[in-house]
Amino acid sequence: MFEQFKNARKLLGLNARNLNYIRPYNKKKSKRLADDKLLSKRALRKGGIPVPKLLAKIKSAEELENFDWASLPATFALKPNRGFGGGGILVVYGRKKVSKKILQADEQAISEPVWIKSDGSKVTVSDLKSHILNILDGAFSLSNMPDIAFFEERLTLLKLFKPYAYKGIPDIRVIVFNRIPVMAMLRLPTKESGGKANLQQGGIGVGIDLSSGVTTTAVLGKGKIVDYVPGTRMLLSGIRIPYWKEILLLAVKAQEISGMGFLGADVAIDRERGPVFLEINARPGLGIQVANLAGLRERLERIKGLKIKTAARGVRVGRDLFGGEVEEEVEEISGRKVIGTIEKVKLIGRNEKTVEIEAKVDTGAGFTSIDTDLAEQLGFEDTVTEFQKIEATYQDIKHLSKKERWDIYKHIPHLESTVVINSASGSTYRPTIKITVVMDGVVIPTKVTLINRAHLKYPIIVGKRNLKKFLIDVNK
Amino acid sequence: MDNISPIISFFVRQGVPLETVILLLILPIIVTLIAFFRQVVGIKAFGIYTPAIVTFAFLAVPQLRYGVIVFISVILVGMLMRVALKGLRILYLPRVAITLSVIAFSILMLLALGGYMQRTGLASVTIFPILIMITIVEKFVVVQIEKGNKAAVILAIETLVISLAGYYLASWPLLIRGIVAFPWMILITIPINIFLGKWDGLRLTEYVRFKDVLKNLK
Repeated sequence: MFEQFKNARKLLGLNARNLNYIRPYNKKKSKRLADDKLLSKRALRKGGIPVPKLLAKIKSAEELENFDWASLPATFALKPNRGFGGGGILVVYGRKKVSKKILQADEQAISEPVWIKSDGSKVTVSDLKSHILNILDGAFSLSNMPDIAFFEERLTLLKLFKPYAYKGIPDIRVIVFNRIPVMAMLRLPTKESGGKANLQQGGIGVGIDLSSGVTTTAVLGKGKIVDYVPGTRMLLSGIRIPYWKEILLLAVKAQEISGMGFLGADVAIDRERGPVFLEINARPGLGIQVANLAGLRERLERIKGLKIKTAARGVRVGRDLFGGEVEEEVEEISGRKVIGTIEKVKLIGRNEKTVEIEAKVDTGAGFTSIDTDLAEQLGFEDTVTEFQKIEATYQDIKHLSKKERWDIYKHIPHLESTVVINSASGSTYRPTIKITVVMDGVVIPTKVTLINRAHLKYPIIVGKRNLKKFLIDVNK
Repeated sequence: MDNISPIISFFVRQGVPLETVILLLILPIIVTLIAFFRQVVGIKAFGIYTPAIVTFAFLAVPQLRYGVIVFISVILVGMLMRVALKGLRILYLPRVAITLSVIAFSILMLLALGGYMQRTGLASVTIFPILIMITIVEKFVVVQIEKGNKAAVILAIETLVISLAGYYLASWPLLIRGIVAFPWMILITIPINIFLGKWDGLRLTEYVRFKDVLKNLK
């Protein structure tokens, strides 16, 4: 019980959010910016942040009467300027084709297009008009203030998200404080949420590891922990969010522009445009803590008062401080390090000569092989020159016994052995030398083969023999 | 009353009815209770005005159960009207106006029904508490539009719970006697509210909401 109360101090409740973060860090002026979607859209665009294109806006009933409906594209989103919690948003996916018969019979049909919603139902101009009237009247705005309606470009769904999202576009919520991304979640629309990504409306929130951008745990609606998308076998953990660094950077830049100290940034990913900034939120919800099974308050307190000069630095600090749990977990369980396909290595050759370089991790290769130039840098100049003097092709010496072959090569200084390498370009005998490879902190004394890799991008590939202590993550 | 503070006697001598004095002095306690429910327990209700005014409406009816019956009827009719008016697609104020009118009719029917069933107590409820309860339906409709039926019903139940707590507190004889004897004691509600206004711990309901997170924190 006492433990529970101690842990409770790590969580951010509504009281603490309002009192310690929103009140002191979000000034009234900047909150007004966040609550006004058109205004914040303009400010963000000026700041170089990609936002959905504004198609048209309607400020009054008079403008509504004179609106040219034919100017709207086949697909768009209609939104209230001061809406909140995803209320009052209407999205159409296509325009209904008007058949020729009707065209001839009724002039009216030409000037009045009909659109289709995601559930297949029709939206006529009079439907739009009545919805816009409601918006203008303030039916969806905070405290029912008269509002503006606007049309904007509808974003297209990323293929990766297709099996997870029910109609609608998932987005990524990032909590930013003091120029540092603090916590993030992927929000998926569900059947219950009617294609909206808000948790309040019944969407799914999936926690994201800040450093890798890989999803972890998930919550459905306001508090139910789930592993799969309801009604499917689509696992919610382990989704790698593309453009992760860019998304965090956009969120921090938006915070700089907004002038708010504490905010929730919503970023979506468009199939063609990549990350697109949706909106800033002055009062971000707290369900993100359930999605991540982690406390916000503890994180916020750790970075309070840090001096962060640039957005890029803030992103780095956030990823270092609050990320990394997923990978560490895998490493803990397997007892192996997780590496990517390109990894920085330190090579130690003769007389402690060292070279630091990027290596390609190649599970198709048995031995690790390094470029001859690299071998020279490691103190094996003699080995390389002497070996190149011997002109013996594979065909010439393959019939010789092991000992006979070794007699040809044994005078070469520091040569360890020769090995047959079968590759796409034929088989060759390659010289091997003994060096030490240090990769991700693991020290591996090993035999490596020498070959001219001058025409290749990476002067070293690390083969299977040296990868036993690692797991390879191709996304890293 | 056995022990009356001089200041209370002064009010009464000036012609302020004792009941009014007590109600006005009990108001700070009720609103502090509501603030406590919001900040520490996490029960939201419809703001502070609605539960406070419903508490007074409950205090003004001859029997509490009739107040509760009227409250529940108002909310039920409000819910039905949302379904009924959905297809009509009309703007906000006319919609609330229609809802209020139908509720007024329904309450009239309810009172008549009470009389018919020999429950004269129901019919003798004065107009003031009835009007109060009818007008809270606007709060209800706003939440219905913004957050849906479920959220609105939950808030209505929370309002009922807080109002009942307020009612029992305000009709607690010991408290009333205390106020009459030591009216200055009301002033402690101010430091209590300052404390509540600076309280940044988790609300009790948040312990439930975040139970899975709490289990996971080390």
